[in-house]
Amino acid sequence: MVLEIQKPRPIWQIMFSTHHTDVGLLYLITSLAALFMGGALALAIRLELFFPGAQIIADSMTFNRMFTVHGTTLIFLFILPFASAIGNYLIPIMVRYKDMAYPKLNAIAFWMIPPGFALIWLGFADFTWNAYAPYSIISAPGPAADMWIFGLKILGVSSILGAINFIVTILKCKHPDLPLSKIPLLAWAYLTSSLIMIVAMPTFAAALLMLLTDRLAVSGFFNPAMGGDPIAYQHLFWFTFHPEVYVLVIPAIGFMYEIIPRFSRKPIFSHSSGVAAFILLSIVGFASWAHHMYASGMSFTEKTVFMVGTLAAVPASAMHVFNFLATMWGGRIRFATPMMWSVGGIALFFSAGAGGVVNSAMPLDFVTHDSYWVVGHFHLFVMGTIAFGSFGFLYYIFPYVTGRMYNEKWGNIHFITSFIGAVMIFFTQHVLGLYGMPRRIFDYPPFPEWIAMNQFASIGGMLLGVSAAIFLANMIYSSAKGKEANMDDPWGIGGKYYYPYQQKNPHH
Amino acid sequence: MKKIVGLSCMLTILLVLPTIQYVFAQDAPGEYLDRRVEIWNLFFRMMTVAFVIGAIVSGTLIWLVWRFRESNPKAKPTKYEEAGEW
Amino acid sequence: MVKVSGHSTWPEWIYIGVVVALLVWVGAEAWNVERLIEHVPADAQIIKVTGQQWFWTFEHADGTKEIGELHLQKGKPYKFEITSKDVIHSFNIPDYVVLQDAVPGRINTVWFVPKDTGEFPIQCREYCGLIHYNMRGTLYVEDTA
Repeated sequence: MVLEIQKPRPIWQIMFSTHHTDVGLLYLITSLAALFMGGALALAIRLELFFPGAQIIADSMTFNRMFTVHGTTLIFLFILPFASAIGNYLIPIMVRYKDMAYPKLNAIAFWMIPPGFALIWLGFADFTWNAYAPYSIISAPGPAADMWIFGLKILGVSSILGAINFIVTILKCKHPDLPLSKIPLLAWAYLTSSLIMIVAMPTFAAALLMLLTDRLAVSGFFNPAMGGDPIAYQHLFWFTFHPEVYVLVIPAIGFMYEIIPRFSRKPIFSHSSGVAAFILLSIVGFASWAHHMYASGMSFTEKTVFMVGTLAAVPASAMHVFNFLATMWGGRIRFATPMMWSVGGIALFFSAGAGGVVNSAMPLDFVTHDSYWVVGHFHLFVMGTIAFGSFGFLYYIFPYVTGRMYNEKWGNIHFITSFIGAVMIFFTQHVLGLYGMPRRIFDYPPFPEWIAMNQFASIGGMLLGVSAAIFLANMIYSSAKGKEANMDDPWGIGGKYYYPYQQKNPHH
Repeated sequence: MKKIVGLSCMLTILLVLPTIQYVFAQDAPGEYLDRRVEIWNLFFRMMTVAFVIGAIVSGTLIWLVWRFRESNPKAKPTKYEEAGEW
Repeated sequence: MVKVSGHSTWPEWIYIGVVVALLVWVGAEAWNVERLIEHVPADAQIIKVTGQQWFWTFEHADGTKEIGELHLQKGKPYKFEITSKDVIHSFNIPDYVVLQDAVPGRINTVWFVPKDTGEFPIQCREYCGLIHYNMRGTLYVEDTA
């Protein structure tokens, strides 16, 4: 299914299409736009923090808005839509069906994203992507806050509709000859992450509505002045968003399950272990949410329960790491660009997880809570694992979508600069947090250690900016003028590039 | 095997020390627990373990990448390559 | 189609066993340290801490009030009773690893003993708006007179 750059279709045909590859393309373009826009905000933040004092950003309110929109954009407008993009392209093919179960609903789910995107960016709220009460109720300036709430409401509905489509397609539309246990691990990744989504998201939808009515002062759920409890908001928020982070990471692990066996020239070490790990993580992931709330005044027993819940989710992730390493063992590995991203992603996935285990130990949270340690930790997940896995898969799917090959040398340079940049920023931020630097601050006192580490991190940030420019250039140039790819085996590694029956499927 | 033994030795030591410490940590006036010390000690114990595990995992990954790269003179085709499908 | 290579998986079970053992150790250690540090000595003096946008105020047991500064005595245990007047803040003395959210409508507690004299920064560790980045104070620990 090759992109119509070679035989252009009118753009409105793609925009009004309900075919899964067209909807996938729309999600892809939107998510990449969000990546660059949110990334630009991050670059500005890193530039500002290079020295103490105000540099390029006029005042703290602007800074606060920038990190809020940065986080909101990259999570809701890059990671989730990118996963939807790949899911749309590949799920029907992986289950040997002609399209998604509900093609029109699929298109509707996509078209809810641009309005959500617009509301978030035109509003530019300042209350962090968590939107904690009571700040978001009594102190955050509107209409930005209200626009953010509406935007997220729309995006949440979009996610739920997309998840329903994925689940029904995989469970109900799969080919009769294909048992569920034999569908590819990437399809399992989408099944489990979609199931988490529909269980977890409604809680936040409720919380958003309550936040809105509190802001309008017609209710007092989270406002102590009206008899409410701000901590209740945190419980509702994190009940959704802890499982949500697994929704973010599971597709990226799925991407690696496609790439690593392919480029190692071996099947995955244990398909059933991968399935078990995805299912285990989906369930146990619901048991840990209040580890984000250790400092909010919870009792010893409550904290212990959530620490146990957090630690219980680690073996599932460890199973994936084992699976990848065991797959590579005894293989004959071609380190093409997709493989480099996947291997780099595993390395950073492990570091992120290790830091997370440290964080989950209740007393250590007194050192790390709301400091740059947390920023470094979660960025190792969202950038180091998810974005790396996503970039790898984007390079992998590039010939499939465009019929051309990307430039391998520049793809590798993109990987190397990104890896170095990510390590420079996010490993350093762990130490910065240990030295006490809080997160979400526009300026900091001129402690020499803080300055040095911020500068080192900012240089890493600039490196990431350079790598993003390389990436953009490679994608645009290669889509238009790249060498035509051998669609049976673009990298010449042997085996089959994609699921063989797709060529025979008349709808493709 | 050696790694497992070494790891267990370290873990045993790391477990014994805090237990001994508990015996001495009774609050008497003038002899209160210092939370900084407790917390940072825990942190450094965990860091030791984390870095040991990290060295094992990343060492394994680096070795795998090196040994099974396609351009390695010792590289030989996997048994799935003849079938052409994996 | 994905091929499943048939082989023994006992290495994976051993690996998972090691991972679980390590996690149990982490949990046990953390539980133990938390238990130790949450035990408040009976003779701890109460200091009421109030956070508001964007400064800290303190009230000693004898009624003395301070704004932005806190003067304590070395070697004595103190228990902070922390609350907020408006939005959530978080009271943090990084050098002494004191940290607890200041939540309006509730009182959170944390205790410590300042064992070194000197000046130590106090900062806010929960986003609270415009001047969150500069919601700072100073802890002065003096020798017992």
